[in-house]
Amino acid sequence: MSLRRRRQLVPWLLIGPGLLWLAVFFAIPLANQLYVSLQTGDPETGYQFTWAFGTYTDAIADYQEQFLRSIGYAATATILCLVIGFPLAYYTAFKARPWMRNLILLLVILPFFVSSVLRTVSWQLILFDDGWIVARFRDLGLLGDDGRLLATRTAVIAGITYNFLPFMILPLYVSLERIDRRLVEAATDLYASRASAFRHVTLPLALPGIFAGSLLTFIPACGDFINAALLGTPRQSMIGNVIQSKFLFVQDYPTAAALSFILMTFILVGVALYARLLGTKTLTDSAV
Amino acid sequence: MTDPNFERRLEELLASDRVSRRRFLGRTAGAGLAVGGLGAFLAACGGVEGTADDANTATVATASHPKEAIAAWTFANWPLYMEKKLLTDFDKEFGGKVKYVEEINDNYEFFSKVRQQLQNGQPIGRDIVVLTDYMAQRWVKDGYAEPIDKKNVPNAANLVENLQTIAYDPERSYTLPYQSGAVGIGYNIKKTGRELTSIDDFFDPEFKGRVTLFSEPYDAASTVLIQQGKDPEKATIDELLEAIEVISQANDDGQFRRFTGNDYTTDLTKGNAWVCMAYSGDLVQLESDNPDLRFAYPEQGAVRFTDNMMMPAKVEHPYAAETMMNYLYEPQVAAKLAAYVNYISPVDGIKEILEQTDPEIASNELIFPSDEVAANLKNYPQLTPAEERQMREAMAQVTGA
Repeated sequence: MSLRRRRQLVPWLLIGPGLLWLAVFFAIPLANQLYVSLQTGDPETGYQFTWAFGTYTDAIADYQEQFLRSIGYAATATILCLVIGFPLAYYTAFKARPWMRNLILLLVILPFFVSSVLRTVSWQLILFDDGWIVARFRDLGLLGDDGRLLATRTAVIAGITYNFLPFMILPLYVSLERIDRRLVEAATDLYASRASAFRHVTLPLALPGIFAGSLLTFIPACGDFINAALLGTPRQSMIGNVIQSKFLFVQDYPTAAALSFILMTFILVGVALYARLLGTKTLTDSAV
Repeated sequence: MTDPNFERRLEELLASDRVSRRRFLGRTAGAGLAVGGLGAFLAACGGVEGTADDANTATVATASHPKEAIAAWTFANWPLYMEKKLLTDFDKEFGGKVKYVEEINDNYEFFSKVRQQLQNGQPIGRDIVVLTDYMAQRWVKDGYAEPIDKKNVPNAANLVENLQTIAYDPERSYTLPYQSGAVGIGYNIKKTGRELTSIDDFFDPEFKGRVTLFSEPYDAASTVLIQQGKDPEKATIDELLEAIEVISQANDDGQFRRFTGNDYTTDLTKGNAWVCMAYSGDLVQLESDNPDLRFAYPEQGAVRFTDNMMMPAKVEHPYAAETMMNYLYEPQVAAKLAAYVNYISPVDGIKEILEQTDPEIASNELIFPSDEVAANLKNYPQLTPAEERQMREAMAQVTGA
């Protein structure tokens, strides 16, 4: 084989394993799922492929409440993550000494060493009705005497926020850390107040991190079912709970597959709109 | 490990930490969902090619499994559901080596795992499986179970009278009960301020928002049927749907805090819920931890669930499996098992043995219900798979998923 031919082969060898992986574990299951979602039948009499698009419209009609709830919870949690995560990422990137920075990053990553299910279960033990937290909330008048935290919307959103916070902090930190501090200095030299230097220099430069962080938080949060199952009630059930129940409990595979596709489509469209809104072009322009 | 009994000790540790089988399930259910979800999905993908299997409706059958040397064979059961020492004793006495796998976390999940092979008429590589009534029924009806050769299981005569016949297997040709339990009222008497005795207490407005029910309709809807004076075993799908409607209305009024699996125990022990639909075996443990917790068999009667030993169709080591069944039906052995798992044993004559060895267990009404209570235990409804899905779909609507 000539050197030229071999050179041409190199890119394929490099992307080959990745492509193969994607094909086997992503594309094929996805196609299969699409196929299942358009079938009708039941596990006993078998399934036939019938182009059953009705499953999709029925699924939207039956479960729009859970869809909207998932989106609402995921959006709220994403905003909370941003509000909580930004100051921490900012401090870590700009103010913390190196050892402190390493410590904070370690602490952010540490929860990943424990299964998220276990961590969420331990929230049950923190928030229980006769517990310390609930008692203090009652003392402060934040909860009525018979109020509770567990099995409420608050608990579910708090759980999601907690579980996905690291996915927000890490990209924020990376984008903030890359900012050249001299740009902020230059802004203040040119008589910008600290606030307007932050608004006109730091924040725009951090936008890629905000964008990445909110996607990494919002997308999995939309499909989450662990928090709603463990910290909520039927009134908090999310679309992930419906899909899970359709697969395992009701054994209605076509509807479960259709719901997954609807969720995926929604997220793709949402992400596209969001990217447009933030303007990826201005994102890159502002970094120059 | 230098300590050969390490595994056993670990289990004792777990047991003394009050993790009974069903509670263990509750704790791991979430993890199971995450992992099982994928498995079930893959199984579902495989299952879509499945076709109707003409149900082998003969429910009385005989088999002949000649005696042979026992070699390596497999026993699939639920986690924390076996006194492991009995297994080593069995190997010593009868030879061979039992491979004991705690792989059944959920009837449906397990069924998804082996369904393809069963439908194709292939052996599934397990010689005994332990399945709850509604799943056992399905296997018997669909011809996925191998009849038991009664000549190899003479101890089956020790089966308690009230389990000797069950609608889906009137002669116990395919199934032999492993353990039973009852669905009753678990409550915290300090919170309720009074003793509870009735299914009506789940619906008492006094406990509004402090009640949990099982999300499993076989348990929840059957209990409501008993409240209405009906026998769940004879209930029609319409009656079950009506019962679910009763639950739905109370749920709309905010009566129930949650619908749970085995994880109700957290809500009960932490005081989040005062009145829980509960499994008798769990409360044996919980009561000994916290004297305020109680279990009541409802006065109207209680649903009894039974987990059954059975051999899958095309079983490869039937003689070994039957020898094990026979062994577990020896009263001495059954007594050890009952003392370990705390559920209701289906084997006659073990109370007398435990009165000598473990009087506390022998006198526990949750493990040895009185004759009066025992006479009032009801079996699960008999449904076709389509009806079962209809029931589950209705219940899923109530539980919001």
